[in-house]
Amino acid sequence: MPPILEAHDLTKRFELGESSVEALKGVSLAVQPGEFVALMGPSGSGKSTLLQLLGGLDQPTTGAVVFEGEDISHLSDDDATRLRRERTGFVFQAFNLIPLLNVRENIALPFTIAGQDTSRGELRDRIREVITLVELEGKERHRPDQLSAGEQQRVAVARALVTRPSVLLADEPTGNLDYTTGGELLDALWKSCDGAGQTVVLVTHDARAAAYADRVFVIRDGRIRDEIDLGRRPDHSAAPLIARLAQVGL
Amino acid sequence: MGLDRLAWRILAARPLRTLLTTLGVALGVGVLSSSLAMSAGIEAAVDRTVRDVVGSADLRVAAFLEGGLSEATVEAIRMTDGIEVAAPSIERRTFLGAPVTSAGAEAREAVTVVGIEPVAWSRLHELELVAGARLARIDEPSALITESLAEADGYILGSELRIQGHDQPTTLRVIGIIAGPGPVAGAAGRAVIVPVDVARSAFGLEGVTRVDIGLADGVSARDVAERLAERLTLEPYVLSSPADLAEGLRASTADFQATTALVAAIVLFVGSFLIVNTLSMTVGERAREVGLLRAAGATRAQVVRFVLAGALVIGIAGSAFGLVLGLLLGSLMAGSVRALTGFPAEVSSLNAGSLAVAFLVGVAITIAGAVEPAIQAARISPVEALRARLDLPATRRARLGWLALVFVAVAILALLAWPPAAGATGADRALGVYAVLLAATLATPFVLPPLARILGSPLAAFVRLEERLARGSLARDRSRTALTLGALVVGLAMIVALGWTAQAARNAATAWLADVVPGDEVVTSIRPIGPGEAIRGQLAAIEGVRSVTPIATFDLAIRGLRFDAAAIVGADFLADGRLTFIDGERAAALRALDVGGAAILPLPAAERLGLGVGDTISLALGAGTTLDLRVVGVVERSIPGDGGEAILVGWRDASGPIGVPGADVFAVRFEDGAGPAAREALETAARDAALEANPLSRVQGAVTDALGRVFGLFDALALVAVLVAALGIVNTLAMGVVERVHEIGVLRAIGMTRRQASRMVVVEATILGLVGAVLGAVVGLGVGAVLLFLSGGLVASAGLPWASIAIAAVLGLAGPAIAAWYPSRLASRVSIVRALKFE
Ligand SMILES: Nc1ncnc2c1ncn2[C@@H]1O[C@H](COP(=O)(O)OP(=O)(O)OP(=O)(O)O)[C@@H](O)[C@H]1O
Ligand SMILES: [Mg+2]
Repeated sequence: MPPILEAHDLTKRFELGESSVEALKGVSLAVQPGEFVALMGPSGSGKSTLLQLLGGLDQPTTGAVVFEGEDISHLSDDDATRLRRERTGFVFQAFNLIPLLNVRENIALPFTIAGQDTSRGELRDRIREVITLVELEGKERHRPDQLSAGEQQRVAVARALVTRPSVLLADEPTGNLDYTTGGELLDALWKSCDGAGQTVVLVTHDARAAAYADRVFVIRDGRIRDEIDLGRRPDHSAAPLIARLAQVGL
Repeated sequence: MGLDRLAWRILAARPLRTLLTTLGVALGVGVLSSSLAMSAGIEAAVDRTVRDVVGSADLRVAAFLEGGLSEATVEAIRMTDGIEVAAPSIERRTFLGAPVTSAGAEAREAVTVVGIEPVAWSRLHELELVAGARLARIDEPSALITESLAEADGYILGSELRIQGHDQPTTLRVIGIIAGPGPVAGAAGRAVIVPVDVARSAFGLEGVTRVDIGLADGVSARDVAERLAERLTLEPYVLSSPADLAEGLRASTADFQATTALVAAIVLFVGSFLIVNTLSMTVGERAREVGLLRAAGATRAQVVRFVLAGALVIGIAGSAFGLVLGLLLGSLMAGSVRALTGFPAEVSSLNAGSLAVAFLVGVAITIAGAVEPAIQAARISPVEALRARLDLPATRRARLGWLALVFVAVAILALLAWPPAAGATGADRALGVYAVLLAATLATPFVLPPLARILGSPLAAFVRLEERLARGSLARDRSRTALTLGALVVGLAMIVALGWTAQAARNAATAWLADVVPGDEVVTSIRPIGPGEAIRGQLAAIEGVRSVTPIATFDLAIRGLRFDAAAIVGADFLADGRLTFIDGERAAALRALDVGGAAILPLPAAERLGLGVGDTISLALGAGTTLDLRVVGVVERSIPGDGGEAILVGWRDASGPIGVPGADVFAVRFEDGAGPAAREALETAARDAALEANPLSRVQGAVTDALGRVFGLFDALALVAVLVAALGIVNTLAMGVVERVHEIGVLRAIGMTRRQASRMVVVEATILGLVGAVLGAVVGLGVGAVLLFLSGGLVASAGLPWASIAIAAVLGLAGPAIAAWYPSRLASRVSIVRALKFE
């Protein structure tokens, strides 16, 4: 099967007036459909930058991102917007939700933005489905500020999944959560991947989170330093990953 | 010191916001300084006119009839107790023969010749000569001319001057040059002063034009006026005093000045909203820095100072720029004041006092607006700096309560700077208006959410999500929105209120004419048409014409006061049902007019003379004759004359003893159902007789056009308030985008287009505009009702000012839409990557 998402020798340079920062220095990788991939690395290594390029939020300085066989690295703003709306889903570390809108409305946002009616038919069923998936039944009418941090992040996951995107991209979604709630969120991601075949790319620096993945890329200083193949494991044990990371010196 | 530098950096970090706020202050100060300068200019012009006209005389007796005051009258004045100096003089406008020095005898502009008794006159009038000598005798063939005239027409000391009189030109020698334009009012600098006997013979006069009077010490002008009224019964005269004159001139501009001052105060008020809002936003935005400063050991007092320092910079820069704007506005206003009040206000004269007041008021209001944000800043605790995300309830509360204080501050400052000529009633009115506006602004946060929902619902049909988010954004900081909206509402309300007042004034004028003119068409003549002439009969014979009634307007002097008067046919007014009687019996009164020896007074004249039905007016008609007229009625409104409403007399008295040569107006009433043919026939007949026929509606139109020009100026000022409000909207919308940058980033990340993001802001502005227009109209009607009620003109029939409401609606929508341009671009350009950076 052809990869659903590929990066070819990506570089990204940020110009800061006089000086510049080279956040990515030539990254290549490929993600297969239905795969759960984690990007790990220390702070400032370029994980978020890479994820943003993969999801069409930003454009690389050189290199290419190929999404379902299409080069998306130089899309017009409108095309990139459509890509985001229809084919990718994002979850960020915090403040994913619009405070004004309730849980259901936040989840329905991608459809609302596209001007679709979510009060009936298939879309309504899909929204109900993802609410069940993230176990938020009964809280549809709650406002974000009436939810716990973990519940808020699950709403964000539900919203990212509701459009059935080709790839779900998550940037440290558990960064603000405690051990248990973080685990619940990861379970939800895992269910969507293992159960519904959702492709997931997860950025984290938590080995326990990365251990949910089939494959882990270790990024350091703008380059991929290692690739660890864990395989699909329902127990998500972090031990093999930690051992391997210790070998690499992380 | 370091903190002040930081304050400066914070202002510089948001250049647009700082610039807009400074501009807002500048516009307020500009309007204030120009209206103050205009008031001062009018005052100065009044003082100068009074000085020029009467010098240091305490009273002036002016001739009413062409022939002037006879020697007997002048003598009677001299002999009156309490009068120390009586200086008779003659004033005539004429032309000069070509000066001997100049080649051709081309036509020149007119000059004003004043004939004086040099000794008496110089006791009451100052004359500053730049060259030559003064007049010495009452019959020497010499003249003094003004410097301006000398320059314009090329005269020098010793030149010969030829005055065109009633007969042969009189040749005089220029023996002195008076400084500048000279002391003769209305001469536009072209004045010639000659001995009184020279003027008398040049113009072939018996009497003099006027007698200026200096009173003995300790004598009251009122007593002397009474004594004069007893003695001068043989000739009509008009008595005036400098105080009367000044008061009259001031009164003619008082309403104008009061309204200008009111609108200026309101522009400043709106400007103060902008300041409170901007500084609060800045403090909210900088809460983290302020918290860090506090954590680093800055005291509360230092934080307060730090915010006030920022305000001071804005206040000083804005006020200084405002003075420049004020000069520009002032020169524009001076032009319209001259055109509107017919009074030469010279605003161009730089008035240091009003500039200083405007500057200080601008700075003071900026500081007053900064106090509350400064207190908020001082309340920020060091802990706030540690919070990951700032949601500062402390900076979002109680700003409106503060507004009341700013209101009081502005009101007090406005009263201090209130032009004295605008009068106390003007101040009452201003406070009333002000209070309505404040109440409206304080009420906005409560009516905003429901109104926004109702008015936003049509938008929701097209752009549901954007409408929802826009409304949410408006609701997020209610006091900020209230201030922004309040400014818009105040500006639009002023437009509606002024429009309503203007409309009521127009309607009143229209109704007035309809009430007093017994006709549909007014036929005017430039020469008096005598009773014997056939024209009236010819007009009346036209098919479809029911009645033609002759009217003449003229002046009467009663007890030294000048009144407008009109001669009418009482029977015609009775048949046509014109005039509203307050006192007296209508039919009897109008019939009495035709019999003769009777007069009907308009209410103002009745009050001024203290006369009622049954009293008698004794008119001196000159040459020793008098005419007694019995007051038979008092009417609410009468035929308009040059300076007021006319006293109505019958034709028998007018053509007889009073000597009115004929009618200058015919009022023509058509038969019911007479078609346009009748009107056309009338107009043709009128044209053939060298008369001008105008429908009453056109006459009314001319009156209301003049009113329209006055109100046009006020509208322009109110527009400045809307402009200031628009600046506030730019600030608020831009701030909304900055604050929601993260939210917009998320929306863009999940697929919102740039267009949608910018539309969100445009929708927000549109809702603001819709709410502003509705509230502006409602509040404007409230303010208009207060204005009309206080000026006693609130009548149910005034009708709503739909045109002004429409204008307010258009401005309410267009203003915010234009203001949204920049913030919406800002929203569409939010960088997703940057927005999502964890702050
Ligand atoms: N918009 C930007 N402008 C300038 N430099 C940037 C920008 N975004 C990222 N960088 C720089 O690029 C590098 C990589 O940043 P990135 O956010 O991708 O790191 P990260 O691995 O996600 O770190 P963290 O784990 O802390 O989130 C850093 O050195 C950062 O300073
Ligand atoms: Mg990161």
